[in-house]
Amino acid sequence: MTRTLATGPDIRGPAAGRPRHGRRPERSAPGRHQARAGRAFTAPAMALFLVFTVLPVAGAFGLSFTTYDVLTPPSWAGLANYGRLLEDETFFTTLKNILYYCAMFVPAMIAISLALALALSRRLPGMAIFRTVYFIPVVTSPVAAATVWAWMLNSHYGPINEVLGYFGIPGPAWVGDGSTAMMSIVIVTLWQGVGSNMLIYLAGLQNVPAHLYEAAALDGAGRWRTFLHITWPSLRTTTFFVTTLSLIGAFQLFDQAYVMTKGGPGNTTLTPVYQIYETGFNRLQMGYASAQAFTLFVIIVAVTVINMRVNRDQVPE
Amino acid sequence: MRWTLPGRLAVTTVALLTVVSTGCAPSDDDSSGSGDVVKLTFWGDWSGEGEQQFRTMTDAFNKTHPGIRVEYVVQEDMLTKFLTASTSGQAPDVMFWDRWRTATYAPKNVLEPLDERMKKDGIERERFYGEAVRELSHDGKVYGLPLTVDARALFYNRTHLKEAGVEPPRTWAELEKAAIKLTRREGGKLIRAGLSMDDVGLFSMYLHQAGGQMVTDDCSRTTFNSPQGTQALDLWGRMVRGGVYQTGFETGLGEGTDAFATGKVSMIFTGPWNITTYKKYGKDLDFGIVPPPAGPQGGKASLMGGFGLVIPRAAKQKDAAWEFVKWWTAERANALKWAKASLNIPGNVEAATDPFFTGDPFWKPILDTLEYAKVRPACAGYPPMEDEALIPNLQLFLGGKATAQQALAKSQEQGDRVLAQNNLG
Repeated sequence: MTRTLATGPDIRGPAAGRPRHGRRPERSAPGRHQARAGRAFTAPAMALFLVFTVLPVAGAFGLSFTTYDVLTPPSWAGLANYGRLLEDETFFTTLKNILYYCAMFVPAMIAISLALALALSRRLPGMAIFRTVYFIPVVTSPVAAATVWAWMLNSHYGPINEVLGYFGIPGPAWVGDGSTAMMSIVIVTLWQGVGSNMLIYLAGLQNVPAHLYEAAALDGAGRWRTFLHITWPSLRTTTFFVTTLSLIGAFQLFDQAYVMTKGGPGNTTLTPVYQIYETGFNRLQMGYASAQAFTLFVIIVAVTVINMRVNRDQVPE
Repeated sequence: MRWTLPGRLAVTTVALLTVVSTGCAPSDDDSSGSGDVVKLTFWGDWSGEGEQQFRTMTDAFNKTHPGIRVEYVVQEDMLTKFLTASTSGQAPDVMFWDRWRTATYAPKNVLEPLDERMKKDGIERERFYGEAVRELSHDGKVYGLPLTVDARALFYNRTHLKEAGVEPPRTWAELEKAAIKLTRREGGKLIRAGLSMDDVGLFSMYLHQAGGQMVTDDCSRTTFNSPQGTQALDLWGRMVRGGVYQTGFETGLGEGTDAFATGKVSMIFTGPWNITTYKKYGKDLDFGIVPPPAGPQGGKASLMGGFGLVIPRAAKQKDAAWEFVKWWTAERANALKWAKASLNIPGNVEAATDPFFTGDPFWKPILDTLEYAKVRPACAGYPPMEDEALIPNLQLFLGGKATAQQALAKSQEQGDRVLAQNNLG
């Protein structure tokens, strides 16, 4: 769940950057120079993106039509891998699991990171400490954190259920029970991920023009109305950015499921990436794993596009 | 001195290239002085203490074999590395090998068959545990020699058993009774489990004890949905109803917080690798080991596992590699030296039956169990079948979300499909 923050807060709405209709503005000499410099500066990143992202994706697409075990040359298999995928009950289980995970994880991520950002955006002494505290999980190794969490969530001896016990609440079996296992993973991944999205929201909050708040105050708007009519709409692009990245990250859930539950109990936390890893590296069926990976890729693209559409429809024109 | 930006970039690039090119160049500088010494690369994924144990052996070998120099290289992600290395001609000469993977890798022609070399040097298969050699074989050919063997046995907490007044169980009936009697609950909450039932993968052991079989001999279909399978799950069901266990009881507990080491479970089926762990972490733990209890018809069974040494097909120094493998596994003294240094039962039967093991109350029951312990069926589809079809359904059964019949039927239906899809090769 690592991501770059560079493009976050500065994304402008689709309308803002759109060229005016009609006459195409002519580029002045300094403009051309800037464009050239821009290309030069992005070239290294684009080259790396091409070599390490676009090419592997294209390669995986090609391999998905073959039978390939890494050790011997691939042989053409046509659509056999995709045919097998349609009959693979386990793969459908993983898709169902990950959609369930996304449905819990993404809304909770937005709500919690925004709430934290709102709470920490006030200029009070000691805020830097809190920001650091909430950000620390982001720089923790997911595997190490998941190992500790698995112990904390132990049904009988874990500190979480001990604490719940003090209040007379019988804690669930968490990762030991199929009905709460995925929720446990949601909790752990939220803990690990809210820090970075909180930062993005903090940056977004600084971009909300202060005069809007002043106007709202003059009109006698309360806190809730100010949030609903000023803060939330102003953060629309930030929310879109956070939603998109959270969705993409959520679909690729692996570490926590691998460490905490091994996909269990009863396959309730088996995820597509987990299954792709098993198929490719433990069973040496790279062709089939590529077909699974490519299918997941298409699903992620589709979900992202839907997310963009939904977001665009909300633009108040 | 001031650099322009392009100038600085150029300098950095040149510096980087120098580092990269020298870093990648084959470093053959130290072979220049030593004439015709053959260099062997030995890969393994054991680091830390394991690495020290391996180095003990490579040092001993290098000392007695002046013409060969073996070097142990730790590869954390050994198999992935091996996949790419095999195709680019960078394969090691000897590899530390988790034996059950042979069924997946041997058909791909990446491991060197050793039968001819064994015949030439008079190394009979009988020197090793038969099941271990079987696990390293494919289509009648042997692809490696066994380095270690292990088997699951019943570890029990002596103090708990004494308090409850029970003897270490020798039959299923005694196991059931003991497990229920050893369990402690306070206000309905499980405090101490009589028997650890966390690892549902042990089903195959119970099934064999009942006289059943996991798959057909050709590995094409599952055969556990049988009266014997039902007997095994009925035993589990009776123990769960007796309050012995609850799913999630041991989640996240390991090493220092291990449930058996800390007295949270009274009995557990596990392997000899845990003897050292339990001695280390269980300061107040007084434990013993007995072979697994016999099934309803007196059937004895356990799961065998362990490691071997293999020579990749792409190895450059196969003769010297064979020397090393043979020296370490087939020669009693060396097999025993390593066994003592690493506290592993060697695959070499003569070394394993040394008084060091047979005279030790912890190792003896494991050795007795090894007499009849069986490896998992050696076909590529078997591990995925267990992982994907059997284990999830058994977890549902233990969690009370499926009956024994439902769990077995569903496992069979899904398992047959997984076998068919993954045995294709």
